[in-house]
Amino acid sequence: MSHKIETKNYEPPRMGLLLLQFAIAFLFVVFFARYWYLQIHRGEEFARLSFENRTKIARIDAARGEIFDKNGVPLAENYITFAIAIVREDTPDVDAALAQISEWTNTSYEELVEKYNKNKYYVRSFDPIIIVADLPLELIAPIQSQLYLWPGIHIVPKARRHYPQKNTVAHIMGYVAEATKEELQEDENLSLGDIVGRQGLELMLEDRLRGKKGAAAMEVDVFGRSLHREVISPAYSGENIYLSIDIELQKNIEHIMQNQAGSVIVMNPDTGALDALVTLPSYDNNLFVTGFSRKEWDAVRLHPRYPLQNRTIQSMFPPASVWKLLMAGALLEKGVDPRDTVFCSGVFKLGNRQFRCWSKYGHGNVDMKHSLMYSCDVYYYEKALDLGIDYIADFAKKCGFGRRTGIELPHEASGVVPDREWKLKKIGERWQNGDTVNLSIGQGFMLVTPIQQAVYISSLLNGGKLLKPQLIKDAEPEIMGYTPISPEHCKLIADYMFATANESRGTARIIKTEGVHTGGKTGTAQVVKIKMQGDRRKKNHEMDFKERDHAWLGAYAEKDGRRYVIVTMLEHGGGGSSAAGPVTRDIIKLLFPPENTKK
Amino acid sequence: MKVFNTPNKRMFLDMNWALFITAIVIFSVGFVNLYSASSIRLEDGITHTPFYERQLMWGGIGLGLMFAVILINYKILERLASPFYFFVLFLLILVPVFGKTVYGAQRWLDLGFFSLQPSEFAKFSVLLMGAKYLAKDGETLGWVRLFKLLFIGLVPFALIVKQPDLGTGLTVLFLIGGMALFHGIKWKVLRICLVIIPLTLPLSWFVLHDYQQERILTFLDPSRDPRGAGYHIIQSQIAIGSGELLGKGFQEGTQSQLRFLPEKHTDFAVAVLGEEWGFVGSVGVVVIFCFFLFCIYSTICEARDRFGSTLCAGIFFYFFWQVMVNTGMVVGIMPVVGIPLPFISYGGTAMMVNCILIGIVLSVSINRFVFKA
Repeated sequence: MSHKIETKNYEPPRMGLLLLQFAIAFLFVVFFARYWYLQIHRGEEFARLSFENRTKIARIDAARGEIFDKNGVPLAENYITFAIAIVREDTPDVDAALAQISEWTNTSYEELVEKYNKNKYYVRSFDPIIIVADLPLELIAPIQSQLYLWPGIHIVPKARRHYPQKNTVAHIMGYVAEATKEELQEDENLSLGDIVGRQGLELMLEDRLRGKKGAAAMEVDVFGRSLHREVISPAYSGENIYLSIDIELQKNIEHIMQNQAGSVIVMNPDTGALDALVTLPSYDNNLFVTGFSRKEWDAVRLHPRYPLQNRTIQSMFPPASVWKLLMAGALLEKGVDPRDTVFCSGVFKLGNRQFRCWSKYGHGNVDMKHSLMYSCDVYYYEKALDLGIDYIADFAKKCGFGRRTGIELPHEASGVVPDREWKLKKIGERWQNGDTVNLSIGQGFMLVTPIQQAVYISSLLNGGKLLKPQLIKDAEPEIMGYTPISPEHCKLIADYMFATANESRGTARIIKTEGVHTGGKTGTAQVVKIKMQGDRRKKNHEMDFKERDHAWLGAYAEKDGRRYVIVTMLEHGGGGSSAAGPVTRDIIKLLFPPENTKK
Repeated sequence: MKVFNTPNKRMFLDMNWALFITAIVIFSVGFVNLYSASSIRLEDGITHTPFYERQLMWGGIGLGLMFAVILINYKILERLASPFYFFVLFLLILVPVFGKTVYGAQRWLDLGFFSLQPSEFAKFSVLLMGAKYLAKDGETLGWVRLFKLLFIGLVPFALIVKQPDLGTGLTVLFLIGGMALFHGIKWKVLRICLVIIPLTLPLSWFVLHDYQQERILTFLDPSRDPRGAGYHIIQSQIAIGSGELLGKGFQEGTQSQLRFLPEKHTDFAVAVLGEEWGFVGSVGVVVIFCFFLFCIYSTICEARDRFGSTLCAGIFFYFFWQVMVNTGMVVGIMPVVGIPLPFISYGGTAMMVNCILIGIVLSVSINRFVFKA
């Protein structure tokens, strides 16, 4: 370029140019090194953090198994309620959110704050914390329409347990409750708000009912909104369980018992399956799920007849004359000839003590059959002394008394079979022959539960098998042991029970039913010493109910190959025959409806 | 003196084409990256906010401004420097009186039809005034001249920092300092400065606003506020780091698409790039910027007079400063200061300022030869 003239008399400062070169090099070195450090040296670590940023593992709740009776009538079911929850991580201003929830639901702000603070440490920051449960349905729509203003507040569905049969099977079902902090810490499969069984079958069958939670991986944006959801492991619902209980029967028995306190067990003597397990009074187990009001709780707590008690398995009573069924077995196995007779004059003398037969005038000469039929006490007074306490106590224990039957319900009582050692330990006195005499007719220290009676009577029918009482439909029979009574002797005692129910002067004649093979043994357990009114025993209805006798009736009924053991126990109900008799009779009619009324 | 360069063949041939093309390349990279950064993934797919379209518009306007500036003979700027400088100071004084407050800072003058940010003009005025002052004498700076020069920067600095706008204020100061160092400072003076400046820095802590102190503390320890200011720093590093060697791929950056990355189309745009293009892309951008600075450097070497070269050196430091502070912030070696990355971050004003400055450098490159009459 000829017209250009290189007359550069200006040179930029050399040090300045060097400075600029240095600046460029500096820029390159610094950022090359830094990018190397971040992307190559720590790249994997940041890749993982980035993955964790956008991936969240969400629980998929598993539905709790439902429970039905033998015919499929629901006894425990789930229904959906809605709750307001806060997701901590997505809530910019928790206080404002709580204040808003308090306004929506008209609950006190302080209460909500307390609830939030109590629970926040038990949930992950992206899991909802339930603030208000059981949202009334009419509130859901208005709240839902404003939720877009409140990131972090959610309406979440929550499964609730419901027992449609309420009181009728409350003791069998038990109830559920939210897992406690301790349970949450112990069991990593539980999360806040999960329900667990607390009582009854809900507690005993927890493992089968609970099911298995699933998990889903969610890709979320910075606001926690899920963009993509992938199930990692599916949730498995808990098992649906059918019971051997027949809810219709259960209800009808309840009806028959009217307002009496007591229990009725209807058991299949061949399988141990329980068709009915009634205990009265009862309570509404739904209240344990939804919460009691003060009034409701007081009504249960202060009730004079303790409705929370499951009388079939938790209450222990003297077995009274029903015990003679066991004594008969003990005598037969000792080789006593059932035809041997004892003379009953109405009173039995032991030293200078007198033991009365229930019949003031005595029964005359009685053999074993008639001792059961008339429920003669003197026969057993005398025979028991021959057997001795050691043999009787041992025999009773072998027949399932003094230990739990193994029914799958919590808090079963084991009863008491007193012996020498027991008395010395508990009472601090030596065993007397008088104690043996008392024991022989099921009075004194002896205590049994109705379910033990049912298991023993069943063993008489099934040839000596002590079956575990089963609540689950079609459960495999479980033999817990064998009584020492031979099948022949079992049959003999069962026949005597038939006579008691069917022959004239039999004490259980009230349960005689046309066309049904029935047998039974009554019992009247004295609560206090016999009260005499002059020369006459006080009648039950003349006494305060707490002093009245307990009425027992252990029975069986069979027709067309179907048979049941029915144990009726009426607490302070009065005489075995007069009080428990009509109840048992009506139950037999329920189980075997008379031909002409059959559909 | 000629006010305009006449467009002719000579001018076309002498222009620093490398600088121009590099600027276009950086803009293109930034534009492509912005397209990805402006997308958000929702449940039903990816949606775009139209930042990238507007960036293209700003780019077009910027290019127009650049050509307009090329046509101006840079020598005329030397004469305009003083009046312009005092005019800008006047505007800066008006800001606290009439300015409108946005986000707690008073930076804008509302002219009715549009808003003016005098601090943007302050950068130009300080560049021009500084270059003019230094061009008078090639002698290295002694105490007196150094203080006079620093005074040119300190007056607008004080006014801008008061707004408060620490980022722009520091930019102004850095420009003056850079030009002084480029020009040369007497060794005895420099020696003392190197001792005194580090000593006075801690004192400046006490004049900082609370939020500025907070930012510096958070920079030193992001975990002290992981959900607030530290969140930006942490998420930005996660975004870049997770890109690893080759990146997650274009529009595949989860940190940005799922909005974990804040300010991803403006201040943190280069983090999106690092996440999607990895180490290769990130270092690529650094290399392009280095080459870009080298292109400016070549014009500084060739400038025919001291005013031209000092002015270009100021522009060099201006770009250097922005790359340093922005990228440094994104990779976590600088505190969070709202300074955008030239041509990569979205923003109209910055785009226009950058284009004008490149136009000035190109104007110097065209006029690098002296002609005989």
